[in-house]
Amino acid sequence: MAYTRSLDQLRREDEPSFGGKSASLGELLAAEIPVPPGFALSTAAYASFASDHAVAAAIAGGDADGIGDAMRGVAMPSDVRDEIAGAYAALGEPPVAVRSSAIGEDSAEATFAGQQETFLWVRGVEQVCDAVRDCWISLYSPTAVSYRARLGRDREAAMGVTIQQMVDAEISGVMFTCNPVSGDPSMVAVNASWGLGLAVVGGEVTPDDYLVSKVTREVVRAQVNDKHHEYVPDPNGRGTIRRDVEDERRTARCLNEPALAALAEVAKRVERHFGNRQDIEWAIARGQSIPEGLYLLQSRPVTGVEGPKPKPAPSSAIAAVMTTFGANVKRT
Amino acid sequence: MASSTPALGAFPSPFSIETPPGCEGWEEMYPYYAMFDERRRDTDEPRFWFWNSMHFPVPMPAFDAICIDSPYQAVGTWQNRVFAVPPAMGIDYRIVNGYVYISGNPVTDPDQIAERADFFQKRAGHYFANWSELYGKWKDKMRALIGELEELQVPQLPKYESDEVALGEDRNTAFYELLDAYGRVLRLGDLMWQHHFEFLLLGYGAYATFAEFCKGNLPDIPDQHIAQMVAGIDVLLFRPDAELRRLAHLAIDTGVDGAFVEGRTPEQIDSELVSSESGRAWLSELEKVKDPWFNMATGDGLYHYYRSWLDDPSIPYAALIGHVNALRAGEQITRPTEELERERERLASEYEALLEQEVRGAFNELLSLSRTVFPYVEEHKFFCDYWFLTRWWNKIREFGALLAEHGFLEDGEDIFQLTRHEVASAFDELVLTWATGGRALGPAHWPPIVARRKQILERLSEWTPPPALGVTPEAVTDPMTIMLWGVTTERVQEWARQQDGGHVLNGAAASPGVVEGAARVVRSVDQVADIRDGEILVCGSTSPAWAPIFSKITATVTDVGGVMSHAAIVCREYGLPAVVGTGRATSQIRTGQRIRVDGGAGTVTLLAEE
Repeated sequence: MAYTRSLDQLRREDEPSFGGKSASLGELLAAEIPVPPGFALSTAAYASFASDHAVAAAIAGGDADGIGDAMRGVAMPSDVRDEIAGAYAALGEPPVAVRSSAIGEDSAEATFAGQQETFLWVRGVEQVCDAVRDCWISLYSPTAVSYRARLGRDREAAMGVTIQQMVDAEISGVMFTCNPVSGDPSMVAVNASWGLGLAVVGGEVTPDDYLVSKVTREVVRAQVNDKHHEYVPDPNGRGTIRRDVEDERRTARCLNEPALAALAEVAKRVERHFGNRQDIEWAIARGQSIPEGLYLLQSRPVTGVEGPKPKPAPSSAIAAVMTTFGANVKRT
Repeated sequence: MASSTPALGAFPSPFSIETPPGCEGWEEMYPYYAMFDERRRDTDEPRFWFWNSMHFPVPMPAFDAICIDSPYQAVGTWQNRVFAVPPAMGIDYRIVNGYVYISGNPVTDPDQIAERADFFQKRAGHYFANWSELYGKWKDKMRALIGELEELQVPQLPKYESDEVALGEDRNTAFYELLDAYGRVLRLGDLMWQHHFEFLLLGYGAYATFAEFCKGNLPDIPDQHIAQMVAGIDVLLFRPDAELRRLAHLAIDTGVDGAFVEGRTPEQIDSELVSSESGRAWLSELEKVKDPWFNMATGDGLYHYYRSWLDDPSIPYAALIGHVNALRAGEQITRPTEELERERERLASEYEALLEQEVRGAFNELLSLSRTVFPYVEEHKFFCDYWFLTRWWNKIREFGALLAEHGFLEDGEDIFQLTRHEVASAFDELVLTWATGGRALGPAHWPPIVARRKQILERLSEWTPPPALGVTPEAVTDPMTIMLWGVTTERVQEWARQQDGGHVLNGAAASPGVVEGAARVVRSVDQVADIRDGEILVCGSTSPAWAPIFSKITATVTDVGGVMSHAAIVCREYGLPAVVGTGRATSQIRTGQRIRVDGGAGTVTLLAEE
């Protein structure tokens, strides 16, 4: 297999050839954390495609529309296509999510804004290949280009792609292995809403907001919000549709205490595995309950969250107590 | 009914509070210096005073006001004159319509603070360094004091003095003995209060420091986890209930559990037990437990009507019935101490591991210090507030009985309607007329005063005191006010906002969980018996001595209290949601009203009527 690899065969060190998203999913699977099955496409597949004469010329030209047109006008190299078809068949040809897995993306240092393309509920090998190509095209979107320019990496445009079985999420969301507001490392902060994760990730609804103790799994805070719409698979084929949530579910709490405890437990394992604070996308499959129905869709290091303001550690317990009593003053 | 014209800031001026109709003359029940008086209005009015509903939820009977003076004399002495806590002297109190308002005296001069810091570091340092040894001695001191109280006899006034007085040497006459005994019983009370506060500030301070440290590094840590890491597993306060659980086991094992029928009085249960051999054996086992474990009080004992389990066995017997029923239903009722111990260690080590490396040392040191001081924080209640105080009130009752015997009171219990100085005065006249054989005025003088005061207290108890008076402070900085009463800047601002009323009460999140149900407002201990299964307890503050009711209620809401209050700890033990320190729950919520208690968020929502 020159271009594809099953997600469970990937590890951290495969990031340069398969991209951060695929590598981190491989790591999660290695840690026996539930992740929907799938396979990854390497940067070599993109390189093979981009070496086509017309595509290379358009890239050299540097015009985003021109590059897109050129990429759409060229057939995928047959060896790449055959491998995708084979891996997709091995998966059982289910509906899948096709996402870019950029090099350097998902790293603690840089989040490649604008370079994360996601196509949900993709069905059939033709549609999968189209979605892969659309991911590649996104490498040349104006935001991605200017972002790379800022980082000085424009010579090295490269991308992997993740193809992963879809979870028909009844509830989904994001969780942090710390409280992103206060920086408290003993909390798992969970945002949750109905349907697929788009609504939460895209900030289209105000999700339920929970704080769960890592130490006891107790729900320390539960703020239930009005979740007015949700995304579900389009019954007519590729993609998703957005629909209104019926009144009684809108303001209903979407996660109970056992579900939150299970999420916190998984979050702790993920954090322990990676050794740093994680930002995790998760979903609960329709009609299933936690823990069987819980899947992690992505995990990456938390960026931009400060810990609690570091206070100088007291020199001794007595010194700290003296401070409480205002007795730490020295005569001037 | 209350008039409260907001004159200064959001709270009413202490000088704007009117006397409720029919309560005129309430002032005479209390010392002159307890009043908001025009002669010091210029300094009293601009201060912030808050209602100490934690210790004084109902109007003070005249005699019980001794439990305001003595504690504030004692706490002020330790805080201000012994340890010299640098930024805070003692606490002033004033009485308004029978309710106690308090305000700390800050030290603001930096030179004074520095001077006090020298004293504090040396003296508090000594206590912390030798805590366990000093606390061991303290317990001996308390046991000796309780022994001395028990030995104190209330002398009778004989028709003729005995031959020993007449013919022996060094024997005193009854007039002297009586006045001396009354003086001594008061002094023993003062001594108890002195002991009560010897370790309290330092103990709470060490705990508060640990709590503050945890919150600084783990901003969202629930208060109950802090308490759980520190709280003792085998503390004395759990012993009385643990003994009842053991006795319930014994009752079942020896086949006498049939006596413990719901609704029976202690007398009915006892009379069935005496009729059998094994019942009598059980009763003798109960007798062994009584000393000292039945010296538990039915409430935090600052009022004379908080009796002990010895005085009022209905509470321990109700608990016994509950425990027996639970055992019959196959429940495990023994406190899983080993499991609690393991959980306490697990919490501590998990939190430690979550902290940054460089603060772990301080965490462990502070935790260890907190655990050293915590037994005192828990146990002084049993020695002082329960064991000593319930017996002390009983001793005062003996003096009351003597006054009643001579017609000065209609009933011995009426002694609590007179101030301690009035009682001294009554004894002065009693021994005088006993000696002279003249006619006493007391029997005509005191009973009408008593009757009138009972009426005033009754009416005052219907008055709703505002949570605070005077000027809203920009910030609460007094470490004692924060530590002992949980009165923080946020709490005061919340009270101020709530002056206008509202549907949500905020307090401290003391024990997590959300419960909806009917409220039961309990303002005094005699209302505890009214609590029905499934109700939410709403009270000024609770006492762990109410243990048996915690199996009936579904949540607790208090006016005042911090998360280190014993009530909060017991709620967490029982897994009940609790919101403490709402400032006004008992005045805003009526019995029967539906409320929602969110013990994790610290909110109490008054629900719309159906």
